[in-house]
Amino acid sequence: MSWRWFHQWGSPRWFYERAGRWQLVCGWLALILLVVGSLWGLGFAPVDYQQGNSYRIIYLHVPVAFLAQAMYAAMAVCAVVLFVWKMKLADVAMQAIAVTGLAFTVLSLVSGAVWGKPTWGTYWVWDARLTSMLILGFLYLGLIGLRAAIQDPDQAGKACGILVLVGVVNLPIIKYSVEWWNTLHQPASLKLTEKPTMPASMWMPLLVNILGYYIAAAYLVLGSMRAIVIGRERRASWVKELVGRA
Amino acid sequence: MSIEKRMLARELKLAAARPGDIFKPMWFLMLVISMVPLALSPDSVLLADIGSAMIWVATLLALLLNTEHLFQSDFSDGVLEQWLFLDRPLAWLVGLKLIVHWLFHVVPLICITPIAGLMLSVPTDVLIALLMTLVVATPALTCFSGLGAALTLGSSRSGILGVLVMMPLFVPVVILAAGVLIRATDGSEILPLMALLGAFSLVAATLVPIAVSAAIRLNIGGSN
Amino acid sequence: MLEFQFESLMAFLAMAPHGAYVWPVYILGLLILGGLTWVNLRQHRQAIRLIKRQLEREETHES
Repeated sequence: MSWRWFHQWGSPRWFYERAGRWQLVCGWLALILLVVGSLWGLGFAPVDYQQGNSYRIIYLHVPVAFLAQAMYAAMAVCAVVLFVWKMKLADVAMQAIAVTGLAFTVLSLVSGAVWGKPTWGTYWVWDARLTSMLILGFLYLGLIGLRAAIQDPDQAGKACGILVLVGVVNLPIIKYSVEWWNTLHQPASLKLTEKPTMPASMWMPLLVNILGYYIAAAYLVLGSMRAIVIGRERRASWVKELVGRA
Repeated sequence: MSIEKRMLARELKLAAARPGDIFKPMWFLMLVISMVPLALSPDSVLLADIGSAMIWVATLLALLLNTEHLFQSDFSDGVLEQWLFLDRPLAWLVGLKLIVHWLFHVVPLICITPIAGLMLSVPTDVLIALLMTLVVATPALTCFSGLGAALTLGSSRSGILGVLVMMPLFVPVVILAAGVLIRATDGSEILPLMALLGAFSLVAATLVPIAVSAAIRLNIGGSN
Repeated sequence: MLEFQFESLMAFLAMAPHGAYVWPVYILGLLILGGLTWVNLRQHRQAIRLIKRQLEREETHES
């Protein structure tokens, strides 16, 4: 088997040129999926008999919360790639994902809180999911702060890599301990998702939106990565050539 | 004299030369504890209810206060660089440093928590449970905050960043310790939770020094 | 299956009784996704502007 597909990622130039095209495809695809999924969820999915129309927030909340967690895992994969293969692009990806992941975490926290107002009667409840999401947000914030504090990008990348790996080992422990803590203090509250039986007319638009947000996240991360790559490689000859030609 | 013994002797001398470093976090702890009745109410029933949790949080903060610059002086006077040339794994030396730090700077903190407990009228059996959780949990906390200190070594403008970065990782320890305290207040069995807390602490104390040594190497070796 | 759940467009926009919760969340989502896109584009443009300036400086230096 040829390893060419993998080694290509070591070349910032190769990535920068390809990523522009991928980004375009991802952007339009995400836009179409999100418009379809959101309108479907907002207007065409049946009303929930318990929660009324407020449940329509889940068509944004669930995919975003899901992605916020998935992106931390993706960062851990990047950290492993960074340490094992010394691939600089993995560090660029970590930097891009940290910012995007924090934005998604904040969005999921706010949407969860707003959903809580009509459902629980208050904006903030120390529910297990909300709490572990909050901790996840602090972890993302720490990564961004650490990178900002260290001047040398290579050194900052490795420091962030160590932090991500320590964080990803701890994240499941944090999640389970928060869940346990929640049962310790209050009876199981109304869950944000996990309807016993969700009819297809309800989960189909959710599926479309999950896919849409996934691709949107890819679009955003790729865009951020391109900007970081060209900024870091500004002294490389291919960048000068590229900019000089334009 | 072996390297370990010499390291220990050096740490002892340093600690003796700077007693303020040991004293100040204890001072801070007592100040925070004195603020609680002032901010809440001097009602002893109320204080006894939240007392153990307050002492836990105050000890946590005091521990962070003195671990923040754990490696700073060794870094600036070049001792860490010397460590790289010793015929010992860096993680082992880091672990030793963390243990010594725990003994000299964290154990004194734990020793004064009973006084804080009396001031907040925490019942005796809860106080004993509190002491046990602190003894069992602080090694993990020391290791994590040591990692924060090591990660931010190279940057002069990091401030309390090391603390901010590491604090989310304290969550499981705090939750387990709080669980023990709640059970101690109820009078139910605390041993299983203590064992879990101890297991977490042991695993952290074994694995985190490896991450700390990687962070130190990073700050000394630059990009290699 | 695909049946519009509201009687009119106004009812859809009102989304009684939870319109005040649902719509702001979706608007915020739009703002965050759009904001990130804008930040990325701006960062990209800034990087390119920086490189251009550097190139010009090098050219004047050589000549």
